[in-house]
Amino acid sequence: MNKFAKWGLTLPATIAVTLLLVVPVLITIATTFGEPKGVFSTYTAFFNSGFRTNILYRTLRIALITTAISLVIGFLTAYVIAQMPGRLKSIAIIAAVFPLLTGVVVRSFAWLIILGKNGILNSSLLSLGIISEPLSMLYTEGSVIVAMVYLFVPLMILTLTGVLEGIPRDVVEASASLGARPIATFFQVILPLAVPGLIVGAVLVFTGSFTSYATPQLLGGEQMMMMGTLLYQRAMVTFDWVGASTIAAIMVVITIAVVSIMSRIARRLNPMAV
Amino acid sequence: MTVSLTIENLSAHYGQTQVLKDLSISVAAGELVSLLGSSGCGKTTTLRIVAGFLAPTSGHVKLGDRDLTTLPAHARDIGLVFQNYALFPHLTVMENVAFGLKQRGISSSDRAKRATAMLERVGLAPLADRLPAALSGGQKQRVALARALVIEPPLLMFDEPLSNLDAKLRVDMRVEIRQLQKANGTTSLYVTHDQEEAFSISDRVAIMNAGRIMQLDTPEVLYQKPANAFVARFVGFENLIPMKTVARDGVIVTAEAAGGARLHLSQDAFGPIKDDFVLATRPDGLVTRGTGEGIPATLGTRTYLGRAYQYKCETAAGEITANGALSEMFEPGATAVLVPLPEQCCILDPEN
Repeated sequence: MNKFAKWGLTLPATIAVTLLLVVPVLITIATTFGEPKGVFSTYTAFFNSGFRTNILYRTLRIALITTAISLVIGFLTAYVIAQMPGRLKSIAIIAAVFPLLTGVVVRSFAWLIILGKNGILNSSLLSLGIISEPLSMLYTEGSVIVAMVYLFVPLMILTLTGVLEGIPRDVVEASASLGARPIATFFQVILPLAVPGLIVGAVLVFTGSFTSYATPQLLGGEQMMMMGTLLYQRAMVTFDWVGASTIAAIMVVITIAVVSIMSRIARRLNPMAV
Repeated sequence: MTVSLTIENLSAHYGQTQVLKDLSISVAAGELVSLLGSSGCGKTTTLRIVAGFLAPTSGHVKLGDRDLTTLPAHARDIGLVFQNYALFPHLTVMENVAFGLKQRGISSSDRAKRATAMLERVGLAPLADRLPAALSGGQKQRVALARALVIEPPLLMFDEPLSNLDAKLRVDMRVEIRQLQKANGTTSLYVTHDQEEAFSISDRVAIMNAGRIMQLDTPEVLYQKPANAFVARFVGFENLIPMKTVARDGVIVTAEAAGGARLHLSQDAFGPIKDDFVLATRPDGLVTRGTGEGIPATLGTRTYLGRAYQYKCETAAGEITANGALSEMFEPGATAVLVPLPEQCCILDPEN
């Protein structure tokens, strides 16, 4: 295939991404620098508002905790799945990704039913006599994190199963034959070789939870606003389009920063990782 | 430290299929024994059981007087060289070689010293800081070898280590492996499907088939005196002619092949001959002659080999390949007799 044909094949996608994503994003960001009060005035306003910076820190915190928990749960599950025999493995993978077949809103809503005042968890604990008053679990950071972990673990499992399956059996056996105990093999061979998958999974989960909207809206409410819900409120409730664009720009920058930090960590742990 | 490896009455199953049948081998201290056979004969299974990656259904594996059978792989202290090298892709050449030393709690300065010394022995010291992805196949296999040798294991095992290398490199590497193995005096078990490789590198070779050892002997004995029809065919005895003894007169046995051809065979030359036996030869063990006592044949396709002619021959006992002298050339379609040369023939038990 000649060079032109090769680039030609990517043309439709390039045009679509440029027109529908790159251009609108650039326009959105450009509007934030056009305020009469000064080029960076919307940004100084954002960072001078305790209310808004609190939301930013909370969003970062929730996204990082969600990513960390999903990494651990996802890795352990994927590790078990990767070692299953063929048929069982397919069943396990299907079971793991089954929640993805329903929408984000539905799956977040399920947690309303579980965690609500009269929800399944409270009524079970009450009837078992473990608590005497219903706990208020909704509209906390915890409830948002629980729901997000539930949302994102399937992605993590899927990513990591692929990577762990790709680690050749004889490399693991070589480690054992050289005297490495299973725990040493895990930390010195399997974990470093899984780093590329851990990074891909972490990036997926971090960006997903950092920018999430439906879950914090349903389970966080007004008290536990995140960047996504704040952005929606600015744009659709108060019609502060420049303020909303500023939030969007900050989110883009933070996402890029976190992703590049993660790949730097990856390179240090495993020089093969990209 | 040189110790012997003893494999006693090993049986193994994959599900319902029995892949090893009561297999016993002993490898003397410092000896290199090859397991040779086609795929599925159980040679790799045997190696995996000795390495501790598979549990046998029954039987024992002993290294010196240490019973390894129930020890986990990491506690066995065996150096292993894999077919696909199995280098750690995220570690440099140096770190790969030092890996086993690290597991043994050796200090990092000692590790570096010993790994460097080993890399020098395999000629890879200048590449110590490379990642495996930046190495050629031959270099990777040298790293794998260095990594297995540096822990100074009492037993070295090789699982088809050369099958991913090109022909020229294969020959160089096997000489190198043999030299290193001999210099260290390490007891070794070597798995291969390549007869030339096994015969050239080993003190003794075990020819395996269907989970059993058919014959365990020096390459010379295997090549000249196969013990049974399977091994005979494996080492190139193309002609296996079933015969029956019809008369005995002192050392002379009169034997008849299918079709009624009779041969007078001297037990002084051919060794003891039973009533039912198979006369096994390579093509150069049967000579085409115009007249005399032999197996009557119609000659077919003639091939010039340089030192002799080779003929495809039709006989009453089936198709036979025989060689003929350059001085006595036969045309296709000619009739001749095939005369066995005692020193190039084996008398074997019939196959069942």
